[in-house]
Amino acid sequence: MIRLAAMRAFALSCALLPVAAAFAADGVKLPAYQSATLANGARVALVEKRDTPLVSMSVTVRGGALGDQAGKEGTASLFTDLIQKGAGTRDAAQFAEAIENVGGGVVAGAGTESLTVNASFLARDVDLMLELVADALQRPRLDGTEFDKTRTLAVQSIVAAKDSDPRALVGSYGDAWLFRGHPYGRPVGGSESSLAAVSLDDVKRYYADQVGGDRMLIVVVGDFDSAAMLKKLEQAFGSWRKAAAATPAVAAPMPVSGRPVLLVDKPGATQTYFWLGNVGAARTDPARTQQSVVNTVFGGRFTSMLNTELRINSGLTYGASATFDRGSQPGAFSIASYTETSTTTQAIDLALDTLARLHKDGLDAEQLKSSQSYMLGQFPPTIETNGQIAARLADMLFHGLGPEDVNEYASRVASVDAAAVRSTIDQSFPQPENLALVLIGDAAKIREHVKKYGPVTEMKISDPRFAPGGK
Amino acid sequence: MRRKRSMPGAWSAVALTFALAMGAPAHAAAPVVPGADQIVTRTLPNGLKIVVWPDRDIPNVAMYTWYRVGSRNERPGITGISHFFEHMMFNGTKTRLPGEFDRLMEGSGGRNNAYTSSDVTVYQNWFPSSVTGVIFDLESDRMRNLDFDAKKVESERGVVYSERRSSVDNDNFGTLIEQMKATAYVAHPYQIPTIGWPSDIEGWKVTDLQDYYRQYYAPNNAVIFIVGDVDPKAVFELGDQYLANIPAQPAPPAVTTREPPQLGERRLRIEREAQTPLLAMAWHTAAAADREARVMEVLLSILGDGDSSRLYQRLVEKEQAAVDIGTAMDAGFDPGLAYVYAVVPPGGDVSRTEKLIDEEIARLAKDGPTPTELTKARNQALVGFWRGLETISGKAQALGDYEVFHGDYRKLFGAPGEYESITVDEVKTAAATVLRRENRTVGVLEPKADPAVQATGGAK
Repeated sequence: MIRLAAMRAFALSCALLPVAAAFAADGVKLPAYQSATLANGARVALVEKRDTPLVSMSVTVRGGALGDQAGKEGTASLFTDLIQKGAGTRDAAQFAEAIENVGGGVVAGAGTESLTVNASFLARDVDLMLELVADALQRPRLDGTEFDKTRTLAVQSIVAAKDSDPRALVGSYGDAWLFRGHPYGRPVGGSESSLAAVSLDDVKRYYADQVGGDRMLIVVVGDFDSAAMLKKLEQAFGSWRKAAAATPAVAAPMPVSGRPVLLVDKPGATQTYFWLGNVGAARTDPARTQQSVVNTVFGGRFTSMLNTELRINSGLTYGASATFDRGSQPGAFSIASYTETSTTTQAIDLALDTLARLHKDGLDAEQLKSSQSYMLGQFPPTIETNGQIAARLADMLFHGLGPEDVNEYASRVASVDAAAVRSTIDQSFPQPENLALVLIGDAAKIREHVKKYGPVTEMKISDPRFAPGGK
Repeated sequence: MRRKRSMPGAWSAVALTFALAMGAPAHAAAPVVPGADQIVTRTLPNGLKIVVWPDRDIPNVAMYTWYRVGSRNERPGITGISHFFEHMMFNGTKTRLPGEFDRLMEGSGGRNNAYTSSDVTVYQNWFPSSVTGVIFDLESDRMRNLDFDAKKVESERGVVYSERRSSVDNDNFGTLIEQMKATAYVAHPYQIPTIGWPSDIEGWKVTDLQDYYRQYYAPNNAVIFIVGDVDPKAVFELGDQYLANIPAQPAPPAVTTREPPQLGERRLRIEREAQTPLLAMAWHTAAAADREARVMEVLLSILGDGDSSRLYQRLVEKEQAAVDIGTAMDAGFDPGLAYVYAVVPPGGDVSRTEKLIDEEIARLAKDGPTPTELTKARNQALVGFWRGLETISGKAQALGDYEVFHGDYRKLFGAPGEYESITVDEVKTAAATVLRRENRTVGVLEPKADPAVQATGGAK
């Protein structure tokens, strides 16, 4: 009875799909942008978009946490915190007031491979925005008292995060465990222990060596005139010095074999939060679109195989998903979910079985078509706002991709066929026998049960780092 | 992690409402919003109102269906059922099996979510405009034909319990705010956590769900907002085809309980596995539509929005008495709470942090805000207004907020004048009359005194 009804549902969705597919063929295009290079080599892209009186700016500086010294992880991150604590003629409080008095926003942060400064202001305040961003990057005060406060806050914020929802932290432990010994395994924001080792001199050295105009990429999107904006950018950023050191390079990480398990003890936790990962794919991987088509079905949407098994059919969790993190080199492919402590192994077994089933059965024609419709239908809202367009452009240019990354998205999605799906599963999705496992939970209750997955290393959530060992 | 079918829990509901309320402009003249003159509405004979805002920026549509029901409509024994019901709205009708709704929507290129608060339950669909008819079919089917599969009810109970463990039980902030609400209200159902108390999560029955459907899921208790690449005429034709013949029902019972005035400060203390203590304060204030709510938004913005705010400067920057501070407000149909909270440094002195907050509140009540601070709050609101209107989803949410909580979506565009009219004296008066000691609840979460935890207590 249920089977019959299910087939009826199937027929109905078949009948409706061609509508979505027809739409898909003419996918959205990136708005036209103007490119330029400033005198010091900084690259610029500008998009005029006038439906709201707002301007978004995204500045990317190549290097990021890759420029941190080993054992001093978090240096780049402290630098980006500190440039908002006094720059140019303004001290920390004056800098914050200048932004907030006009309702603007400036967010600086470190990523694995770059620093970013994102700003969003009303169009009437665009000169102030440029002045503040230029001051932060070119004239930061890097004051000793502010450094001490910033570093203390950074440590305390990590401690506070460990008291909060573990969903926000499990990926940090996952990267540290999967990429042990590789730069992708270093915590970008540092750990309690590595931050303690960073001095103000380290931050100043980082600034001199790893930050400069030749590493910079500026994207501005919104309500402005491009010619006038380009002049302003040249004036504000065109004569900035170069970074003293070479841009850090990063090699491709090695995948793990077998199933090393990291158990992070959180006494009293009533759920186990788990992360299963291996080396996945790079941002520029030619197969990136077909990887997404497959992952949409496997773990990228509500009706995905993982969420169907762990949530919809069994009620073991509120959510289960899989993701590709993409850098200039392959980042993590990971599965993440959580479940009540007593069902820990039931849920992990089910996740592993589901990955095995992906390898064994692949996708059928209906799943492929459904995934394509979904990806095409959900793409336009990802480049809707000034900030989204700026971030997308910055990411493309950073990775050496052209407008085809967006403009040919629809045709790339539509062209994925059964053969591409099969080869993608074989090449880009890890086997369930080869995964780094991280579990955050009450170790006393699950320690014995999780030994079956592989050799277990244990640490406490209160340990001042994200990887086991250390001082 | 996906937030599918989320319950903006104890805390995030508060933040959401606040963000939306602040998403209103502060400008002398009403700003001209491109396309706002294209908004059209129609109320079907069964009482269902449809609001359409055509916006052809991207070939997509945001469709938000608001039902005027939330945990405010609950009682002991069925706490959390509004949110649980929201989950069951995806789990099968008399014409479609459990799971079909999502398979069909995602296979057509659409995506959905939903959230429940104390006041409302909102169902969100985002889809390419070419499949608008399919989405109307799905939405009308569950408004008319919802069915409750006994097996699904049981597995979904597990899903919701997992959601509770994540957002409340294993999150110290979630735990604290749940207890704060339960303490601040002694009579009004805002005391009920939207996720539900554990024993009620275990106890809901199918008959409870059926009663809920009959009472609250009626076309006359809903409003639909459609923003995006659509022709209003075509949308209204779909409304006639799919929604007009769903019968109206008697109006749901009104929530009549009013919270009596608080007679003195209430304090609560929680001991948990933790390294960082938490401190929160909550004061009874106004309903969303009251002017006092607007004044309080400005007041809270001056106290806690951004690094230049009074509490951040004093507690985080100058005194290092907090790792972070924040404010929030959860005004809805009925008078809500205004919150101030602080994350206290590991090993820090909570009473000192509390004393510093008291000093800042007293200073605001005594001297009022500066004109610069008032301008700053208005500018932040103005930018928030425009950011909210950058996306079709933001527009659908903002229209719903004003239509449902303020009685008319058009007030979204009239709000700038209201912010502009708020004076220094009004803010000063609100600080003195609302942020009174006898009107507040203070909650503290402190680390459990566990020698094992102390010994490994992390870095200082």
